[in-house]
This record gives sequence, structure tokens and C-alpha cells, in this order.
Amino acid sequence: MRRLLALGATALLAVSACSVGSNAGGGTEITFLTFETPNLTPAYWDAAIKRVTDKNPGIKVKKLVAPTADGRTSYAKQLLQSGQFPDVLIAVDSAGFAEAGHLYAWTPGELKDFEFPEANPVNGKYYQLPANTQTIPPVYYNKKMFADAGIAAPPKTWDELVADAGKLKDKGFAPFTIGGGKDGFPSSMILSGLVGTEVYNTTPDWLTQRRQDKVKFTDPAFQHAFSKLADLAAKGYVDKTSVSRDYAATEQAFLDGKSAMYPMGNWFAANADSKKHDFEVGLFNFPTEDGKLVVPAYTGGGMIVNAKAANLDAAKKFALGFQLDKDQLDASVKADGLFPAIKGYTPPSDVGPTFKAGYELYTEAVRQHAIVPAFRWETADDGLLPGMKDKVDQAAQDVITGRKPVADACAFLDTEWAKAG
Amino acid sequence: MAVTRKPVLPRVGHFASFGAPGVLVYLCFVLAPILISFGYSLTNYNPFDPPVRFTGLANYRLLFSDEQFLTALRITTILTLIVVIVPNVLGLGVALLLDRKGWLYNALRSVFFTPVILSSVVVSIIWSRLLDDEGPLNTLLRALGVEHPPGWLSDPDLALYSVASIVCWQLLGFCVVVYLAGLQGVPAELLEAAEIDGAGPLRRFRAVTWPLLAPSLTITTVVLLISAFKTYDYVKVITNGGPGSGATATIAFDVLQTGFDANHVGYASAMAVLMLVIVAVVTSVVLNFLRRREVDL
Repeated sequence: MRRLLALGATALLAVSACSVGSNAGGGTEITFLTFETPNLTPAYWDAAIKRVTDKNPGIKVKKLVAPTADGRTSYAKQLLQSGQFPDVLIAVDSAGFAEAGHLYAWTPGELKDFEFPEANPVNGKYYQLPANTQTIPPVYYNKKMFADAGIAAPPKTWDELVADAGKLKDKGFAPFTIGGGKDGFPSSMILSGLVGTEVYNTTPDWLTQRRQDKVKFTDPAFQHAFSKLADLAAKGYVDKTSVSRDYAATEQAFLDGKSAMYPMGNWFAANADSKKHDFEVGLFNFPTEDGKLVVPAYTGGGMIVNAKAANLDAAKKFALGFQLDKDQLDASVKADGLFPAIKGYTPPSDVGPTFKAGYELYTEAVRQHAIVPAFRWETADDGLLPGMKDKVDQAAQDVITGRKPVADACAFLDTEWAKAG
Repeated sequence: MAVTRKPVLPRVGHFASFGAPGVLVYLCFVLAPILISFGYSLTNYNPFDPPVRFTGLANYRLLFSDEQFLTALRITTILTLIVVIVPNVLGLGVALLLDRKGWLYNALRSVFFTPVILSSVVVSIIWSRLLDDEGPLNTLLRALGVEHPPGWLSDPDLALYSVASIVCWQLLGFCVVVYLAGLQGVPAELLEAAEIDGAGPLRRFRAVTWPLLAPSLTITTVVLLISAFKTYDYVKVITNGGPGSGATATIAFDVLQTGFDANHVGYASAMAVLMLVIVAVVTSVVLNFLRRREVDL
């Protein structure tokens, strides 16, 4: 019996020695949480990991995949609470994890190559690599439908947008593509644009003020912006049945020519340039009330590192290697339409026309200092409270489906904010 | 010749060796988590916002004024009623139709049982595609001249019933199998005797078959009741609780959202404990009623 126990203990030790991270297969193993979308396929992640590990042969990476693209932060929380927090995570909201001491705080020296090293602070520290910028949302449009509806140029003001939507509808085209279902965010894309251009335009730190209870969702400014979404829905320009359509189906619907305009993050450019469709895709900045240039954008989305990683140095090295590698940045531009926020970086010359057009709109906005935060997408100290993103999507859906008037939807957000706080 | 004496009392070790693993598993994976959850429910526990403070019954008091939770309770109740009644009624009907011999009936039994062995996530994905506004069902309806077919998953007034239908569809096969097993246990001589006494098919069913199916009804009702109360996966995959705020969000869904998305583990634990109490009470009442009915019959 004693011999049996000794044998068992030896076997257990051997197994744990292999699984605790080091020297598995001759390298230092780290776990890396990714997510998959129509753009970021398993092949993309495998190639990206290989690219970094080829340059760092001492690091071995075990890839983990979040069950849904939009639920990656929730999944990371589940992993943390079950004692399986990965060593490196990408595009996971750092808020919460950082305050509780689970994340490694990058030093200024480590962030020196990033264009916006002070993006997304949590209590004055920087936990998430500010790897790329995303404009959320520009509006992609079907040039053929616009031409058929007699629209000569994309709209610059809100009134022009509404008028164009009317012309498109009169011509028999569905004006906007939206989605929802298990991926809530395509429902709130128009709302993100409206809050960015109408609320953040004058109050860029609105969410910081919301955290301080200085403003509320029921305030006239927010309600006014929200009511424009309700107006689009009431006029039939936003199809309420689309709120059951998941993200992949939403994108496909636009590419299949089922509607004329698709408000979506700049990452859509990658698929607009690579996936099959029989029309030319154009894009314009989300219109403002008076035509002034205001572009909602979010810089961040990069990797965070588990402060208690068994191989912290390897995890940091992998994260920085991944985010700063030129080949990887080029790949992310082509696969996900990202705008790398790395000093001196220029996108490859062979990117598609939709990406180029979006990048030009963005660089012009940067030049004119017209960037504002992207509502619902902010993270860290100026972001929504944990759990509120889903509530924003739900509020947008309530207004689109006509289930709640704007005032009730805004009151719902205030109630949920109080609960989340 | 040596005579071995049989011990008067059974050996404790003998029973312990059989019972201990089960008891240990039950303690570790059922009882302990329940007790831990109850402990959390009396605190403000948020893993991202220490320290943990004892808050007594504050979480429970909050629950009864939380509109979102009360909506989830209402939705869970509606879903449970549908999921307990519909598969039971249809399952019994299908079982009566299939309670015959022949290859066709055997094949049909397999057809009805297949959904039961599928993953609920797979079922949810398949059905969400079928019920999509531009999915096959609405395409067919449009082809038949319905200009505005229903938004099965997008209409907040309809989505819950669509989700409930999907759950019913998957659980129907389970009911069919249980009722078929029950029907096999109905003595043929009783049915023959009733027929000789002049009872028609309906009378024979009401007087002979149905009373003898009481144990089957008990099994299906209790299993369906518990399955319906803990519905999470279908909601997560098909509608994510929507469309809009809480159109299909069940208590189980709300618990996971509150605990893992909003980080309010203490509050979510209070929801989970309350759900456990509701399930326990409802199941006990139903079980007691159905068991008594079995004895009375």
C-alpha cells in the first residue's frame, strides 16, 4: 500500500511538473486568451503566435479561445475565479482586474514605442497595451444603392443622413444594417455614434462625470442623442427584426446587399476588402448635427498580462513581441482593419481601398484634433461600469423594437448603473 | 469443519466503502457550493472590489425591489409552465401513437429521441438560424404570401415563446421515451377486460392507461420542472437575454450576468439561493401531489 502511494505521489509530481508551465517541450509555457471573429480566425491567431514564438524560441504558447467574441471579458473573469487566469489576454477590458491587483502595470519604458502610452489609465497606472486605435463607428455604405437612390455624396450632417435614409427607403432599399442576438453590440452601433458626436463632442469626459454622479443618462443631452435612434426606428429606417441577427450574420447581410448603410467599427474594412460582394463599399464619418468633424475612436485593445503569471517575464516578452512586431501589425491591419498605434508605423501599401479610406478619415481627424471617446467601448477609469455594456445594448434594442420610449430606456440605464456601482 | 459465523450487525466498513465516495462527491460538489453560495449571499462579495463585508439579508431585501430580477422571475415562471405542460402533453400523445410494433414506429422513436442527445448549444444554434428573420421558416412564409412574417426572436413579445418552443422541442423526446416505457407496463389483460366490458378507446385510456401512467407523469414533471428553472444555455446562445431588457432573461441567466459580468457575486449568490429555495419548494409540492396521486390510484 505504501509503495502504491509513493508511486501515485511520484506520478502526480511528474504530471504537475509538466503542467506548471516551465520546460514543457523545452520552452517556458504561457497561456494566451484569444477570441475569434469572422476576421480573426483560428488560422490568424495560430500564425500570429507562431510569428512571435519563432522570434522567441524559448516561449511556448498555449492558446485559449473565449467562447464568444463579445464575451471575452466575462470569460476571463470566470477563468480568474476558477483559478485559471491566463498569463496573457488580448482585448480584454482591464477594469476590475487591474484594481484587484491581477494585472501587471507596464512601465513608461515598456510603453515608449506606443503612440498613446497614456490611454486607458486605471488609478494612474497603465495595464493594457495601447496597441491600436479603432474608429467606432464610421458608416460603410453601398455606393450602388446610393447612386440608384440619387444620392450624389455621403451625408455630413444628421439631417442629410436622415434625408438620405428616406431616399433609400423610397427606392426600396433598407437604409441601415444592424444586428444583435447573442452579440449585442451591433444593436448599439448607431447609439455609440450619436453619443460620440452629440454628447462627447461637448463633454468628452462624460462617462468620468457619470462615475462622479455629475451627469445622468436621463439628462436632456443624452436623451436627445438617444432619441435620434428612436426616430430612425420609428421611420422604419432601422429594421427592428434585425435585433435577433448575430454579428457574423449582420456583416454578411450588408455584404449581400440587403441594406445600404452599415455603422460598424473600422475593423469591418478588412472584410469589406477581402470578402465577396458585388458593389463598391464607401464610408463616411458618423454625421454630426452641424457637420463639424467629430470622430469617436478607442485606443487600447491590446494585451494585458497576469501579474501573478508563473513566467511573468516570458508573458511580458510575448505580449510586447506580439504588439510591436511589424509583421504582426501588418497582419492585424489586413485581418482586422486595425490602426496600429505604434510610433513610426505605416500600414502596408497593399491594403485594400476600404481600409485606406478609413485610415485617411482617421488621420485627418487626428490632424484636426477631432477625436472623441467611443461610447460603450471605453475601458478603464473613463469606461462604463462592469456589466453595463450589455445594458446599453439592451436599451438600444428596447428603443429600436419600440418596447420602451427613450426616457424609459435612459431611466433603465441609470437604474442599472446604480446597481452596477 | 470450521463454521464461520455471520456477523449480527452489517460491517460498517463494508457500507462505508460503497457509500463514502458518493457522500464525499455530494458534500464537495453539491452541499459545499450551496453553503458557500449562501455565505456569499450574506456579503457584498465582489472579487474585483475587496474587502468583503457582511451585509446580512440586505441582498435578499434588494431582490424583491429589483425590477430586473422580478422580470426574470416572471419569465422563468412562464417558461417553466410552458416547458412542464407542452412536452408532457405532446410526449404522451406521441408515445400513444408510437406504442405499436413495426420498423416504422421504431424508426420514429429514434427520430423523436435524437434531439435529447444533442447538446443544447447545438440545438440553440440550429434553431436560431431557422428562426432568424431571414431564415428558412420566414423565407417559406414569405413564399406563401405572408408579407410580414413574425420576428420569432426579435419581437420582445414573441421571443420568450420561441425559446420555450425550442426547449420543448428538445425535451419532447425524453417525455416520449418515459411515457413509452410507462405504456409498456400497462397490463394487456386489463385493457382487454375493459374492452370486453364495452369500454371504447377513450374510456380505456381514461380508466386504465392514464392512472397507470402516474409514475411516468411524476418523473417527466419533476425533470421538466427542474430543467426549465435552470434554463441558461438556450437563452445565452439564442437571444442573450434580449431582445431588449429582459425579454427572455431567466433567473439562471440573470445570476450569471450579475455574478460574472457585473462582478456582484454576493448579490448573484442571493439570486441563486432564492432560486434554489423556489425550485426546492415547487418541486416538493409537485412531487408530493403527484406521489399522493399515485398512491390514491
